[in-house]
Amino acid sequence: MRLIREFSSSSRSCKAACSLVKPVHHLVKIDKLRLSPRFKELKYAKNDIRSPAFKPVATHQDRVNGHYHATIQPDLLLINYSHNAQTKVGVKNREWDYSSPYHLNRQPRKPKGSAAQLPNMQPIKWHNVPAIESVVLNCYVRESKENQVLPVSAALQLQQLTGCKPQPVYARTDVPSWKVRRGTHMGAKVELRGRPMTQFLSTLTEIVLPRIREYKGISNKSGNRFGCLSFGLTSEDVKFFPEIESNQDLWPKTFGLHININSTAQDDVQARTLVSGFGFPFHGPEKIKK
Amino acid sequence: MTLQTLACRGMATTLKPSGIRAGLILSRIPIVTQDLSKLEKQYYEYQSELEKRLMWTFPQYFYFKRGTLAEKRFLAAQKGPVSKQPGVWFPKGVPDIKHNRERRSKQVVNLPQNFGSAGGDQVSESDSISRPIVPNSRITEADRTNDTQSLERKLSATLYLLVQSTEGKWAFPSFPVASEKGAKQALHVTAESGLRELGGPNVNTWTVSSTPAGVLNGPDSAEFLVKSHIISGKFDLQHKSQYNDFAWLTKSEIQQRVDAAYYQGLSWLLADN
Amino acid sequence: MISTRKTTLKPANNMVTQFVRGKRTKSKGGLSPVLQRAVTQLSVMSAGRKQPKMLKLSREDFIKHQTIQNCWAMYQRELRDKRKEQLRMQYKSIEQAMQQLQQLDPELFDAANASEAGKRFPLEMKVPTEFPPNQVWHYNYKPKQD
Repeated sequence: MRLIREFSSSSRSCKAACSLVKPVHHLVKIDKLRLSPRFKELKYAKNDIRSPAFKPVATHQDRVNGHYHATIQPDLLLINYSHNAQTKVGVKNREWDYSSPYHLNRQPRKPKGSAAQLPNMQPIKWHNVPAIESVVLNCYVRESKENQVLPVSAALQLQQLTGCKPQPVYARTDVPSWKVRRGTHMGAKVELRGRPMTQFLSTLTEIVLPRIREYKGISNKSGNRFGCLSFGLTSEDVKFFPEIESNQDLWPKTFGLHININSTAQDDVQARTLVSGFGFPFHGPEKIKK
Repeated sequence: MTLQTLACRGMATTLKPSGIRAGLILSRIPIVTQDLSKLEKQYYEYQSELEKRLMWTFPQYFYFKRGTLAEKRFLAAQKGPVSKQPGVWFPKGVPDIKHNRERRSKQVVNLPQNFGSAGGDQVSESDSISRPIVPNSRITEADRTNDTQSLERKLSATLYLLVQSTEGKWAFPSFPVASEKGAKQALHVTAESGLRELGGPNVNTWTVSSTPAGVLNGPDSAEFLVKSHIISGKFDLQHKSQYNDFAWLTKSEIQQRVDAAYYQGLSWLLADN
Repeated sequence: MISTRKTTLKPANNMVTQFVRGKRTKSKGGLSPVLQRAVTQLSVMSAGRKQPKMLKLSREDFIKHQTIQNCWAMYQRELRDKRKEQLRMQYKSIEQAMQQLQQLDPELFDAANASEAGKRFPLEMKVPTEFPPNQVWHYNYKPKQD
């Protein structure tokens, strides 16, 4: 396209008489703190034992990951196999036909039937078998606009459930109808990867979900089209986590949370098959594109 | 090398459709986690000790309210650190204590032991919550007696069903696909119904996919292997006309029992543990 | 930090009206129980006064540690490569089988190449545990009569 970086020029006759290439200022971002000779330890990578942020990762056997590699991954390769499958190109931005002089310098046309470009669908081979990448827990407490103590409790609850440090969540915009102001502390979120993630998933599927009354499973309609499934737990369901249940008097109020499972699957259908392999039930009708 | 030989074999044979057979790789997935190698065991131990050393102090004031009986019991169970005294020589360095924790070493948190003195015998009932946790053994009875027909052997490995033909050759069970127009069924359907005929109806399996996972070319037939997992139930050899024995074997045991050429063709399809 | 909070968050009705010599103006229970709970919860999550001393490894220990880490990284890389190679061979094997099936019997090929979208793993397939359950295997399965 015309975004290829080149020397600024206005030599081409078809273009307007100004440079379209943005000037380069800083290609390398400089972190000035790192230039200081004072805090040497802060310059080490976080997995270096000399760094203050060092935390050992592989502290125990990861049984969920072992199950994935031994059983689920080869099965998914077989399930997703399609003979002589080709890359399905997603809809992309279109060029203008330059029939009008106003087409020059115009933004490219939106793709047909979609507001944004869609990624290509690659055939599943040995190097791109779907896997769970991360799990994001998001705990947004609606009442915290009146009571700023609640997000603290919510963050601690997340920390107790996962053993990882949560990040605060703030309201992004003013919503007058909900009486939410921008910048209000509204809850907490935490992103899990690796061992904390598999630990959380197995707690969920083996202890919490089986004890929820009349639990049907993750809805088959859930998903963001690109292999990320979401579901929620109510504040009652959260009480089944062993960390909360064994200290019930510390938790007079629990908070529901949203759970997003991010996977490397390319669409939701693949992602559901993958997630079902970890012991999550599904319910409802599933829409499958032919 | 193996790939090339596989490809050559695939290209060279041209068979009549009547020679198609559906093989079945029926597996029992592991029930317990993999056995750790020595390296893994030692590395995990090292890392978990490092983690304990670097762990924050246990926030005891959150779990046990000050002045309660629970706090008293908890504190009684702890072995407090040695505190700093003026004029005393400490051979292991001067203590550095914060929040009742020696900061230079890992914190050992002892949970208060069972304090229900009344009815000590009733606690040890099998359904009581406070009974001591005794894990079941990873080695089962079937391992000790080396009962290869049991599904309870080698819990940490994937087991595969192999059958012995009347000539004494071990192989995965395979079934001919009917060539007539009406009776012809897909490979996985043929394999599953064949398994029911061979091993009785009381077997619950889950076919992974209708796609075959591999092919074995014989002199007059091509055997397409369908993968399936046994979930519950029991495989019992019904009538011993075609096959006279069966066994649940791991990958290494399969290698010992079958022909080298047969094993070469499908060694990639079997899980390592 | 906690002490400054105490003074700022003090409710207005607790104001000392008359000065008495020797009387505590900053009472210990100055915070309402709700706020006290929040302060405790914050302190559980924060590092203040809870962090252990940093590790100070001698040069020899550091080299030992690095050797261990390198060994583990190499082991993991080997494991990863082995798994990838096995998956690649499995894919080739599937591909070859399907090619041959297409030549031999197009009808069976179509059945085998049918889309598996919507496939679910059965819930009975459990993630392996460290120790076996009390009942290792369920033998008494009966197929549903219908």
